[in-house]
Amino acid sequence: MTLALAVTIGALFAFGTFLLLRDDLVKVVWGLAIFSQAANVYLVTMGGVVEGTTDSVPVLADHHEPFPATTDPVVQALVLTAIVISFGMTAFALALSYRAYEENETMNVTEWDR
Amino acid sequence: MTELPAIAPVLVALSTGIFTLLARSWPRLQRVVVVAGTLGYAGVVGALSWDVVFASDGARIVYQVGGWRAPFGITLVADGLSVFMLAMTAVVAVYAAVFSVRFIDEHNQQVYYYPLFQFLLLGATGAFLTGDLFNLFVWFEVMLMTSYVFVAFYGNAIHTASAMRYLVLNIVGSALMLLGVGGLYATTGTLNMADMARMLAAGGVAMRPVVGVSALVFVTFALKAGLVPFQFWVPGAYRAAPLPVVAMFVGVTKKVGIYAIIRLYFTVFGTASVPTDVPGVAGDTPLAFLAPVLLVMAVASIVVGGFGALGRDSLEGLFAYSSIGQIGFIAVPIGIAAATASETLRKTGLLAGLIFALHHALTKGLLFLATGVIRDTAGTTQLSELGGLGERSPGFASVFLVGSLSLVGIPPLAGFFGKFLVFDTAGRQFATQTAGGFWAVTGASCLLAVLLVGALLTILYSTRAWMGAVWGDQTEPVQTSTVDAGEVAILATLSVIVVAVGVGFEPVYEFAEAAAESALDTDGYVDAVLGGADE
Repeated sequence: MTLALAVTIGALFAFGTFLLLRDDLVKVVWGLAIFSQAANVYLVTMGGVVEGTTDSVPVLADHHEPFPATTDPVVQALVLTAIVISFGMTAFALALSYRAYEENETMNVTEWDR
Repeated sequence: MTELPAIAPVLVALSTGIFTLLARSWPRLQRVVVVAGTLGYAGVVGALSWDVVFASDGARIVYQVGGWRAPFGITLVADGLSVFMLAMTAVVAVYAAVFSVRFIDEHNQQVYYYPLFQFLLLGATGAFLTGDLFNLFVWFEVMLMTSYVFVAFYGNAIHTASAMRYLVLNIVGSALMLLGVGGLYATTGTLNMADMARMLAAGGVAMRPVVGVSALVFVTFALKAGLVPFQFWVPGAYRAAPLPVVAMFVGVTKKVGIYAIIRLYFTVFGTASVPTDVPGVAGDTPLAFLAPVLLVMAVASIVVGGFGALGRDSLEGLFAYSSIGQIGFIAVPIGIAAATASETLRKTGLLAGLIFALHHALTKGLLFLATGVIRDTAGTTQLSELGGLGERSPGFASVFLVGSLSLVGIPPLAGFFGKFLVFDTAGRQFATQTAGGFWAVTGASCLLAVLLVGALLTILYSTRAWMGAVWGDQTEPVQTSTVDAGEVAILATLSVIVVAVGVGFEPVYEFAEAAAESALDTDGYVDAVLGGADE
């Protein structure tokens, strides 16, 4: 599980960084979205995906053995906040990129005024 | 409720923001609300500072949000360091708000200017008060979200382009901070700063990953502060944003980065021990790793900012680069404080950094607002198109002179003590290094040399701004202009504060000393936050 997550996070970061470095504004915004989602996946992983107990996950109190593998509830709360924030940021980035396109008349960021 | 004052600044900023939003259809009422709200904010911060620093000598006011005890809930901590930063914020915010009323045109005022302004203030206030690492990230985002809108505020080609660059850089920065926070949580198992400090001091936590992961968080803080090599956003954003907001960016947003570095490294990591082997750096705390990095970045900032400011052709550009250099001046003593083993020098270093930060917030705030007056008056801030403002308006010229002289560091203005303490710290560091072998002496003398060069460059570019804008023959745009007497009057009172900070320096020094002491007093911080947890 950890290996799969590590590979996924690595791939997401690599792809996000690749998109961030493109000339096309839409790809840059995609890159931002993927980059922040990679950070979110990383955050969930940092809680450690382990078999839960009734102590670590109180919701499982009524659950019968065996407990499913789960991650720390604190990081889930953190990620929830982070997802909402990155949603807002992405929405703003999209709106701003449309305005920037209208004003600068090109989607190629290297052709914008300094 | 003795702990209520700690959350009061947050509440005042938040409710003012909401009220300005509600009063959007009544511009006159909205202006009254924003000025009254910001003054109320200053009042609340003043009362809090009095409680924490002057009345009870180094107390901390801790507010557990929602009654959840630390380390389970979110904690707000008002200690000396926090209230020092808040007091600085309050002064800048009051002037930026009052100046906005006259400076921003009617139509733009109605486009959510004031609510955004209050939320920018709210974000910074929360960041200064919070005692929780993830909550710090959230407050950063609150602050950033409004600052994105402000950079894009005028909405033309250049503004949207700057805003897009600023946005991309900061979203990447935020993702890095998230990585850092996640890593710190994974290694220490807590997000509460006091709890983290306690665990790190007790040992038993693997320190190497903590130091490594904290570098990611440090990058985000340095990005906020605009230290080289993360300074790229500064000139573009400062050119695009409305000038009163730029005063907030210099006075508040940048200082949040500096504050976060001090809080995390000195208060939280200060008592942890980790095997170190860094030449020229004493001690065995994670500070030993911060010191060389911060010093190199600070020195680079001074050089880049100083030479950059010499080459700009507009006033905003010049002051934007100047503020990159000045952040270097703030970071040098903090870096020295991290490098030294001596308790007194560490305190002196932090103190010097804080005083310089205060001076920079006031002086550069004054100068950016003065640039606003020039923009309003002449319609341009290009140095080549300006000249003769001194003849046109002697009142404005004297305000600009006070700002420039304080930037250069002429006694008895605020800037003199800032610069004096920075040089004092560097000099003492040099004195302790003389026995430390060739590299230690070379390093310390290079540092002094760069500070001297930086001070010289400050004189050069301030003179350039003065000669270009105020002296000389009146140019076409200046001749046809009328200087807004109200704006000049507002600035005149701010310049009086700049002088007053220098003349009545004693209480300011005591305030900053209390701030530096509380930043270094990890045990007191831990006790104040977690003390009630065992009951």
